[in-house]
Amino acid sequence: MKRRVWDLAHGRSGDKGDVCNMGLIARSGEAWEVLKREVTEERVKAHFGDLIKGSVTRYELPNIHALNFVCRGALDGGGTLSLRSDHLGKVMYTWLLRMEIDDE
Amino acid sequence: MKSVKLGTGLAFWGDSLRPAIDMVERADIQYMCCDHLAELTMAILSKQKSKNPDLGYTTDIIPFLRGVLVKCRERGIRIVTDSGGANPESCGREVVKLCQELGLYGTKVAVVTGDDIMDRIDELMAEGVDFINTDTGEPLSTVRDRVTQANVYIGSEGIVRALEQGADIVICGRVTDAALYLGPMIHELGWAMDDWEMLGAGTGIAHCIECGGQATGGLYSGGWQDQPNLVGLGYPVTTVFENGEAVLSKTPQTGGSVTVGTVSEQLVYEVMDPANYLSADSNADVSQIRLEQIAPDQVKISNITGKPAPATLKVNMGYRAGFVGEAQFTYTWPDAVKKAKAGLAFLADRLAQVDFKASETRIEYIGHNSMWGPEVIAPPEDPDLAEIVVRFAARCPTKADARKVFTESVPLYNNGPAGAAGIGTRPPIKELYGIWPCLIPREYISVTTTITEVQPEAEGAEP
Repeated sequence: MKRRVWDLAHGRSGDKGDVCNMGLIARSGEAWEVLKREVTEERVKAHFGDLIKGSVTRYELPNIHALNFVCRGALDGGGTLSLRSDHLGKVMYTWLLRMEIDDE
Repeated sequence: MKSVKLGTGLAFWGDSLRPAIDMVERADIQYMCCDHLAELTMAILSKQKSKNPDLGYTTDIIPFLRGVLVKCRERGIRIVTDSGGANPESCGREVVKLCQELGLYGTKVAVVTGDDIMDRIDELMAEGVDFINTDTGEPLSTVRDRVTQANVYIGSEGIVRALEQGADIVICGRVTDAALYLGPMIHELGWAMDDWEMLGAGTGIAHCIECGGQATGGLYSGGWQDQPNLVGLGYPVTTVFENGEAVLSKTPQTGGSVTVGTVSEQLVYEVMDPANYLSADSNADVSQIRLEQIAPDQVKISNITGKPAPATLKVNMGYRAGFVGEAQFTYTWPDAVKKAKAGLAFLADRLAQVDFKASETRIEYIGHNSMWGPEVIAPPEDPDLAEIVVRFAARCPTKADARKVFTESVPLYNNGPAGAAGIGTRPPIKELYGIWPCLIPREYISVTTTITEVQPEAEGAEP
């Protein structure tokens, strides 16, 4: 069955210079296992295409069932320089929530 | 067990005063901590100071104190703020004047300085501080002649000293956000300045609460529709214990909620590696944090630890990076998308005729792809769209170039494709500042705390 990350998690994103971080919080212990398996660095990088120019690194916060994605070169030079309407990456995570995953 | 109760007053420059006023009236806090500074704020404040040496602090501190200070003094609530921005001394003088106006004699106002290294850059470089860009590896010479401001993120030591000396209000410049909270924790809980586990715990707790309503139901993607009374959102009221644990709550009878979900979202906000949350006072490890709902609107925070603080401090250095010009216009059915593209071509041709220069341009379609851009969502194609809004932005070397973007878009009203509207009025031209991320060994920085006791004005005792 195809589901979206949103079915399994909620999140938030923000900026530090040209780095955007996106946190996902699983809605259940079961969802946490699926997230860890499906939402990989490679898939996140591919899902954002050229919007993320640098690397994507994933970190785990197991006791709150959260994943943190640190995306470099993701804000068009940084919040103070960016021409993007979302120059601070405030809603970057919502695009990640739209990503489709296999949830078998 | 010793504990201290901290309130989050303001969480950004321009934040509303209502949550702070509600809090001093209804919550039994000992400290109210306020963060006004974001990455760009220091560049803006430095620009203000360069035009007027009395400015350069976040002026919202004055209406804030006007709203809460009398009550805080009555109840012994001490205030810690970074509203000093680029000019803590001037901010301190204004706060002293306000205390005099309110008749709050005897109030001790502390000013913490030492973060501003703008005048020392060349001397520090001569001594071997390289200020290499930690993101790109480039040398500072790339932008040196355009640097307008350089401030070090200093830690809590100046705040702790001020509190030890009895300060009622502590005004800082660019301290870390966490220090505003960690200072009172260290002072009240007796943590040593090298008790890395506790300083790490305190830093992690501070991170959970420094953004105010973002921990109490504001911006909550996990259930925004279930948050009661968002307009009356309560800000965090947090009891921190000497063992490094805390209970995060909020002002009674306010909107929003405190749940494991709301705190989790704030915890992951603007965090890089959660096992190495670097700050001036510690290298906190929040990766194994535990959050537990112990009562309605009460979340217990535990299992944060820390390692020794880094040998270097982070520098916030801003440099002039040109200007941004923007134009926005709307086309309607029929053929809204075709017309929008023709309108953009029209604008591009006009700009070419006036020798327009830009290092980068961007086109976004509002309502279609403006948040992620063409990198993620291709421009619209649907021929039946009722309307589409186009935003064109350009990064330009001069203000004159930036201004051309709007000026050359105005003829779209009369001379371009049919059905254009919503061009708007001439926008102000925004100057851009780049942030140059770099480090400085901490031994080059010394923090000074100056305390003024407020006296009646006639007897005058300016800081």
